[in-house]
Amino acid sequence: MKKFFAVVKREYIQRVRTKFFVVATILFPLVIVGFTVVPAYMIGRKTGGPTRLGIVDQTGLMYARVAREVNGDEDRPQPQPTVPTMTPPGPAGARDRAQQMAKMVKADYALERVDLNGRTLDEVKKSLDVRVTSRDLDGYLILPPDLVKGGQPEFHARNTADLITKEQLQRAISQAVRSQRMVDNGIDEKKLKELSKPVQLKATGAAGEESKGEGGFFLVFGIGMLIYMSVLLYGQVVLGAVIEEKETRIAEILFSSMRSFPLMMGKLIGVSLVALTQLVIWAVTFVAVSAWAAGSSFSMPPIPLVWFVYFAIFFLMGFFIYATVYAVVGSMVTTTQEGGQLAMPVVLFLIAALFVSFNIIRSPNSPLAFWASMFPFFAPITMLVRVVTETPPLWQVLLSLGIGIATAVGLIWLASRIYRVGMLMTGKKATLPEVMRWIRQS
Amino acid sequence: MDPSFPTLILDHVSKSFGDFKAVSDLSLQVRPGRVFGLIGPNGAGKTTTIRMIVNITAPDTGTIKLFGKSMTTALQDRIGYLPEERGLYRKMKVGEQLRFFAELKDLPGREADKRIDAWLKKLDLTSWKDKRAKDLSKGMQQKIQFIASVIHEPDLLILDEPFSGLDPLSVDLMKETILDQKTSGKTIILSTHQMEIAERLCDDICMINKSRKVLDGQLRELRRSFAQNVVALRVEGADGLLNDPEVITNVRQNGDDTEVLLTADASPQVLLKRLVDANVKIAKFELVEPTLHDIFVAKVKESA
Repeated sequence: MKKFFAVVKREYIQRVRTKFFVVATILFPLVIVGFTVVPAYMIGRKTGGPTRLGIVDQTGLMYARVAREVNGDEDRPQPQPTVPTMTPPGPAGARDRAQQMAKMVKADYALERVDLNGRTLDEVKKSLDVRVTSRDLDGYLILPPDLVKGGQPEFHARNTADLITKEQLQRAISQAVRSQRMVDNGIDEKKLKELSKPVQLKATGAAGEESKGEGGFFLVFGIGMLIYMSVLLYGQVVLGAVIEEKETRIAEILFSSMRSFPLMMGKLIGVSLVALTQLVIWAVTFVAVSAWAAGSSFSMPPIPLVWFVYFAIFFLMGFFIYATVYAVVGSMVTTTQEGGQLAMPVVLFLIAALFVSFNIIRSPNSPLAFWASMFPFFAPITMLVRVVTETPPLWQVLLSLGIGIATAVGLIWLASRIYRVGMLMTGKKATLPEVMRWIRQS
Repeated sequence: MDPSFPTLILDHVSKSFGDFKAVSDLSLQVRPGRVFGLIGPNGAGKTTTIRMIVNITAPDTGTIKLFGKSMTTALQDRIGYLPEERGLYRKMKVGEQLRFFAELKDLPGREADKRIDAWLKKLDLTSWKDKRAKDLSKGMQQKIQFIASVIHEPDLLILDEPFSGLDPLSVDLMKETILDQKTSGKTIILSTHQMEIAERLCDDICMINKSRKVLDGQLRELRRSFAQNVVALRVEGADGLLNDPEVITNVRQNGDDTEVLLTADASPQVLLKRLVDANVKIAKFELVEPTLHDIFVAKVKESA
């Protein structure tokens, strides 16, 4: 046991003291901030003042309505800035995201009414085009005379790639047209406002408590991403730690002093503690920064405390299971590069688990959900999904944990066997049949 | 414990890797307080034998007893092992590294620190204590590795090719240190293919070749029993005399020396008398003891 702790201590102290650790600990949050906050800020704050638009209103009566909608109707509640949900990648996803952005980004337009004054539409367009090209205007809208009856408005702009502006304008015109149609059909303006008050759905669970489903949803994906990221980050470190003694040829001394199982276990736990140290530092920073940013209005999201316990337990389990996979791989190969390739397919399990959990969220008590939450490589995510949707009986949670822990320990045992025999076989990469023989042999 | 009771006993030990027989039916005994040479060419099975002794692998058949007991992890702590394939943690400081190895041998930290300082001083490495291993020369690294193998004052010290890669000064220092260990009562197993070194350090030897034991015993007796009637000469004007088949069966040139193999019943005295009578100028006349190399070659030829 003393030797085991000696290994843990060495792995931990040697790693935490490296420049790499210090730099990564500081740099990573900065990068995250860089990738999330800054783009949102940049898009949200269109630089160079308001967008200047000319509006050619051929209907003669829509300008006021459109103008009001474009710059936001004070009477209507502002859309709540919600946490952006996960969207599938690809063009459709990008469009969705632009729509969401359009909702969140504050509209800021300087509008100018352009009258025909006897000119033809083409003449007006031409003169507006000149102004757009000379940067006097950013773009212009043409509302056709039959707009209310289904005519298509046109939008000309220097920057047609600005999806957000396009989205906001489309929304505003639709809203204006809808209102106009209602007024045309005899609905009084004041009544109209009352009628178009949006509905907020309040979801309640079976026991009557207020739903926390949405928070849970984000929690699950949060943990999925967290496991995924920490496995990617630290899997390589585990791999390196296991290979280190092979590369430096220290393994022989170690094996003449201790069994390989406590050695492997010590390495894994040492590296894991490094990972946890870093994650805790990041978590504390994150909470502190968001508390500071939100000021006095900071409040914890409505998530029950017990979920955090599950969160911690399943995160640890997930991390260990995948870290041991890297240990097994490390025991078979001689260089980290080889190992990285070999371990990749296993990481795909993690992604598969995320996909399976889409299904589980909708039917958390299906047989699929049950088995997926028992399968150790899926369980960290799938069991957590079930916990936050419809908490399964305790025995299922415990069974899933038990299977997970047994898997991790079994994998370490396997790794230690392969490692010990492989070390004696002088540094060549092992083929699978060889590995099988080693396991039987030692 | 009875001082004559062997520290280590190997009894009909065999080990194969797949179809390859690394060690076959090896029996040997290592007596306490002596330097035991495990000798043989590369690939003879020395390292596999040692790995079985230090409990890295288990023999397929046969038993190994250390201090009269079968191997346990506690017994492992009484062995010091310097493997042939040596390594250090490249980025770890020398002092910390030694302390880690001491901890692996269950040595308490404070005691370890004291001994580390003493050893570094002894091997003239004190100023390197806080340097990283990768900044050390190869010879220095080797000395650090040696310290790691003796830091816990093991009763049995196993050194696999301890002199490879050392400069002559370091070789002398290492020899001295090994003999110090012997003086302080440790048992030492020295594995090497360099016979001249084994010759100078070992009390007992075991020669192995192609996984099998060729011979073993006390070095002095082995040499005596292999003594041939060989005389090394450096003489002038004795050409005719050395062709007499009554006395001499073979003549070969060895550097400046002429080595003559006498017939079984001729004694060196007869040769010397003849040389003196013939008024030959004698610069050197020396009875040649067989070297380990000679013995090894003779034995291997014999068994082939």
